[in-house]
Amino acid sequence: MTIFKFALKRSFSNTTNLIFLTLFPIACIFLPNGEDWPFLPYGYQYFGILILFVGIRLATIILEDREKGVVKRLAVAPISHFQYLSQNLLAYSVILILQCILVVFGGVLYGQELYQPGWLLFLFVSFSFASLAIALAWISIYRKKDVSFLVYMSLIFIVIILGGLMIPIEIFPDLLKRIAIIFPTFWLAEGLNWIVFGENILDFLLINGVLWLYTIIFIIIGSTRKIY
Amino acid sequence: MTIASMQGVVKRYSSDIALDYVDLDIQEGEIIGLLGPNGAGKTTLIQTLTGMTPFERGKVELFGQSKNPFSIQNKERMGLVTQEITVFEELTARENLHFFAGVYGLKGEEKKRRVEEALEFVGLGDKGAKMPTKFSGGMKRRLNIACALTHQPRFLIMDEPTVGIDPQSRNYILETVKKLRENGTTILYTTHYMEEVQAIATRVVIMDQGQIIKEGTVEELIKTVQHEEKMKIDVTDADSVPINDLEKIAGVKKVVLSGSQITIISAVGSGNLDRILTLVKEYTGVLGIQADKPNLEDVFLTLTGKQLRDKGEE
Repeated sequence: MTIFKFALKRSFSNTTNLIFLTLFPIACIFLPNGEDWPFLPYGYQYFGILILFVGIRLATIILEDREKGVVKRLAVAPISHFQYLSQNLLAYSVILILQCILVVFGGVLYGQELYQPGWLLFLFVSFSFASLAIALAWISIYRKKDVSFLVYMSLIFIVIILGGLMIPIEIFPDLLKRIAIIFPTFWLAEGLNWIVFGENILDFLLINGVLWLYTIIFIIIGSTRKIY
Repeated sequence: MTIASMQGVVKRYSSDIALDYVDLDIQEGEIIGLLGPNGAGKTTLIQTLTGMTPFERGKVELFGQSKNPFSIQNKERMGLVTQEITVFEELTARENLHFFAGVYGLKGEEKKRRVEEALEFVGLGDKGAKMPTKFSGGMKRRLNIACALTHQPRFLIMDEPTVGIDPQSRNYILETVKKLRENGTTILYTTHYMEEVQAIATRVVIMDQGQIIKEGTVEELIKTVQHEEKMKIDVTDADSVPINDLEKIAGVKKVVLSGSQITIISAVGSGNLDRILTLVKEYTGVLGIQADKPNLEDVFLTLTGKQLRDKGEE
């Protein structure tokens, strides 16, 4: 588990990552409630945006290895592409899960009204995996981490807005409402609504199922590219 | 014992041939100096030999195994020093070594001991706690080498390990390579610095355009050109000199233009210096003349009509 151990270490090794991984999630706990929308406190509506950025920050470590040629050494070493990828992804997943636990249970302790904290945690974890998978697929088409990060940032803002994470989807025209379904952010926003108003557990499982489907598809796309 | 062997290996990148029926045997205890200009196929040869790149035709054998040469067991016995400095800049030098030692399956006390030994071996014993970002180019190169040594490979491949460093660090690395061989490691060392190969290689393999065009000891190779003389003429305007006319002078075998220098290879005793100079002076001013003893560069020049490095290339 050397790669797993060092992936954890490297994830916390620079200041920007430390801020993304620790300070921002803590800040989410303390953000207030909106008047009419969102239905959960702002920090919990916007935590999804943070998860998307953390996903790309973490996955970029793999791209950095490819850019620098570190993976060439690993290609000659007695480990497989699968071991390299799975141990890295496992480390990033652990970080994302811990972040979700911190935000949800931190909020409970602080006294935020989170309605169903257990299911909220489950939803955030599902979205974290989808975010990581999308980031992995994204970096697989790039060779330079700076270009990859910049383009991702630009595109992700569109996905965040069209998915209904920043603006309620109800105010969109019908066409945009229909398009929104293809974005994972839409399913997160739906899940957040369910946490407040939902009754039928099958609806919630469907929402998570779609997020897991995204995860599987993008993991397959992202892992087909060889590490060197 | 044959450590590595390639037989009739062919590798293409679309229509470009990168390895053209390459045959190569590497015996235990050798330092093979693989010499060739940029684009000769050295890196492709390494990638093929390590299983990084599939090949179309031929056979690769490692440690006597041809059925599954890139098995985990064989990979544990190999090491690669990459051309790029492939270390983690966010980890200390010691952590870098711990990472690679761990990847090769070393554990506990043995891992700690091997890491310290590798750091000592490359002269970074007191720099283990430092980040590579604080290192000079030469120190980074040495750390790059150390990362491939913790698991004590029997066969070490070094792909241009001295690119872009000062002569002092280069000498240190060359001494390290010699020590590795004394400790029983077989080394394939690629470079386009013929001085390095001349200093360390027990056998030299010259590559160009995907083919191995000559191999032998340094002495054997130099002997092949001792019937030739080399003259270098520095001129004010090399482009104005008619190369074809120079090549027609009796005894002249090859003329190579490189920057403001003309290199002329003639048969020994051809006595054509006067005629060459007269012709050159007709077209341009002569700044200096130099006659050298033959070396590997001359062998390469004679074989390919090209120089190993372009003028100005480091």
